[in-house]
Amino acid sequence: MPAGKHKSRSLRRVYTKVSTRVSLQYKKRKPKKAHCSKCSDVLKGVPRERPYKMQNMPKTKKRPQRPFGGVLCSKCMREKIKSDIRQ
Amino acid sequence: MFEVGRLCVKIAGRDASKKCVIVDVLENNHVLIDGETRRRKCNIVHLEPLDETIEISKKASHDSIVSEFKKLKLNPRVTKPKQKTERPIKKRKTPEQLKEQREKKKEEKKKASEEQEKANDAGIEKKLEEKGKEKPAENKEVKAKTVKPKTSPKKKD
Repeated sequence: MPAGKHKSRSLRRVYTKVSTRVSLQYKKRKPKKAHCSKCSDVLKGVPRERPYKMQNMPKTKKRPQRPFGGVLCSKCMREKIKSDIRQ
Repeated sequence: MFEVGRLCVKIAGRDASKKCVIVDVLENNHVLIDGETRRRKCNIVHLEPLDETIEISKKASHDSIVSEFKKLKLNPRVTKPKQKTERPIKKRKTPEQLKEQREKKKEEKKKASEEQEKANDAGIEKKLEEKGKEKPAENKEVKAKTVKPKTSPKKKD
């Protein structure tokens, strides 16, 4: 039986291989995926990790390297640039 | 629309929202661009044409485009070519050179040890001197406190 604090499914169960056996570990769940602020579509190229892992990640791995990368999706960015030109 | 000399804005990739000019028209909806962006092949779908055009020849060089862009008060991309640096070639030392190296090291060690000894001796002497000075200095004369006599206020008649 799992311990009382591990009975609810709020924590994620991870099976890791130790030399002699398979051990069970409990980890916190990942945050939800990043979304476009305009069309709320899922953003590609933005990792889905806990803050402690994002801190140690280089900046170039955290978002695409175009203007509004990590905030707007590519389609919305194109629309925004086009509208800015025409004004 | 997409002819040589047409000013455009790139709307895809890391050079997005930067101005460029079409230098050459290639096959399959592709053009060669240069200017604020890198000089590269680009799909027409990734460009937004502007109303302005520049007078440049087909396949114009990067330097000529830089001068044209500066007239329009735009910041063209300028990349400095890397200077070639020669790698230092390692040579094995001859046995004579190795001998000299060892002798030098020995001399340095000797000098360092001698200096340390001198410094230690000087430190001990200083400490002794300080101890000798401190003892008489401790007997300081204590200033006698002067107490003012209490004066009773005079009564007025």
